[in-house]
Amino acid sequence: MTLSMTTSRRLVKGVGNLTLLFLLLWTAIPFYWMVATSLKHDREIYGYEATLIPQQPTLSNYSRILQETPYLLFLRNSVTVAVGSTLASVVIACLGAYAIARLKFPGRALLARGLVVTYLVPASLLFIPLFAIMSALRLTDTLHGLALAYLGADVPFCTWLLMGYFASIPVELEEAALVDGCNRISALVRVVLPLALPAIVVVIFFSFTRSWNEFLYAHVFTSTNQARTITTGLAIFMNEDVFFWGPLMASTIISAIPPVAMFLILQRGVVQGLTLGGVKG
Amino acid sequence: MATSSTVSLPVPQVRKPLSFRQKLERFLMQDGILGYLFLLPALAVILGLVAYPFVNAIVMTFQAKTAGAPGRFIGLANYAELLRNEVFLRTVWNTFVYTGLGVGIKFCIGLCMALVLNQERFCNNLFRSFLLIPWAVPTVISALNWRWIYDDASGLINNVLVRFNLIGESISWLSDPNLAMFSVIAVVVWQGTPFFTMAFLAGLQAIPKELYEAAEIDGASILQQFWYITIARLRPIFITVVMLQTIFTSSSINFVYILTNGGPADRTQIFPTLSYNLALGGAQRLGMGAAVSLFFFPILVVFIYFLTRRMLRERED
Repeated sequence: MTLSMTTSRRLVKGVGNLTLLFLLLWTAIPFYWMVATSLKHDREIYGYEATLIPQQPTLSNYSRILQETPYLLFLRNSVTVAVGSTLASVVIACLGAYAIARLKFPGRALLARGLVVTYLVPASLLFIPLFAIMSALRLTDTLHGLALAYLGADVPFCTWLLMGYFASIPVELEEAALVDGCNRISALVRVVLPLALPAIVVVIFFSFTRSWNEFLYAHVFTSTNQARTITTGLAIFMNEDVFFWGPLMASTIISAIPPVAMFLILQRGVVQGLTLGGVKG
Repeated sequence: MATSSTVSLPVPQVRKPLSFRQKLERFLMQDGILGYLFLLPALAVILGLVAYPFVNAIVMTFQAKTAGAPGRFIGLANYAELLRNEVFLRTVWNTFVYTGLGVGIKFCIGLCMALVLNQERFCNNLFRSFLLIPWAVPTVISALNWRWIYDDASGLINNVLVRFNLIGESISWLSDPNLAMFSVIAVVVWQGTPFFTMAFLAGLQAIPKELYEAAEIDGASILQQFWYITIARLRPIFITVVMLQTIFTSSSINFVYILTNGGPADRTQIFPTLSYNLALGGAQRLGMGAAVSLFFFPILVVFIYFLTRRMLRERED
């Protein structure tokens, strides 16, 4: 050994701090650029007078997207679709997870396996046939059609996560409830669900943010503003040159706030959920 | 002991016949029946939104099909045409580079980030929360933001490089054929690294401190401790995370679609974007588009098979 323990430990600490500094900059700079651009007048964004720090900060970009574009409509659509698909998938997942974790019936193991497999099948493989199916059922360009399509990814994942939590709740608690005259349904509602509440909150987070962030289905299954969500709406703003970077950055900031805020509040549970479930990045 | 005639035993009450409702309830409350009832909605979702479309996709690849019209069976013609197509062959290569480099770099930076965040320091929780934020930002939004950072005329990078006279004229990060792929991968890495960090951090925190103490008493250096304890303990997580990320990185359309849409000259075309462009970008060749996705499905099947096994086994422990 050439280095003493204390020296090498100090070295590790130093290298760690330096690396942290680089990582913080790497993460922060794109966010800074986003915020800075959203606060600038056009003349500070383009051309020779372009600045790195906004000299005369303004909120005009924000008022422009709210007043002159269908952004608020996209926002409302995103909320509707995300809330709808989240509610549906959480209810479906609670029932399914309880059945697999607690009830004994033939085919249980097979179904558990089927859930994992479906969760791993990527959307890029399914969007073409789904588009054909949705067109045939006249579900394209509707909010409920989009929310329905999101269940395909949300339900398997939520069920899989909840299965793990449900299985970790001691069976004795439920057996006691069953002896006291509860049936399975009231045991689920009165005993299991309250105990699994933290897990359900995490599942709501995953389901909501997945729907909120989803792009491919939203882009393929919608063709008018009436059904567009934020993600596809913004992509179209960009392609059609409706407006440019100032307002666009303002709208990306507003759109990123809900998932980021939820993530920061629920961080501990989210990390736990990741290790339990393995998650779509 | 009861004697026969004198004492009338309480005759077991004749049970009131169950009403239909009660019978139904008793029937439904059996584990077997209730289990299927509870799983019915989930099963409907799996079959209707994943299994059926998947089979549909396979059928489609043998058809010449446009949206709205019924398909015409053409056998393996779609596949044959793809194999002769230069763009497709380039796409295969691109997808490997994109996925390999993307996952590889995310893995390395993610591991560094996790190790650094696992050290003790002032305000560490704050740093951790901050470094994980890119993962929570919708990918479309990250992609839009980076497209602006890369902008030829006024983007952040060119702006800074020109301002400090590091380059004479601005660099076309997303339209230079030699740079585009790397520019896109940088964005993938920026957004996706925190996922690795979270998984690795959880693994690091599960390693018992006693292991390091024992190793130190035995005279192991910090490097030896790192290799034989930290890395050895994280290995199962490495495998799961890399497989998961390979599936999802190779099949995500968002970054490439927003940043370059496959350009310049198909230099960043990957399976999902090619599939999308063939099926919905003008020509509307749904069968061809589906065939592109199906082509790489065999590789995915291998990953899905091993991952499923791993994930189920980890649950049982």
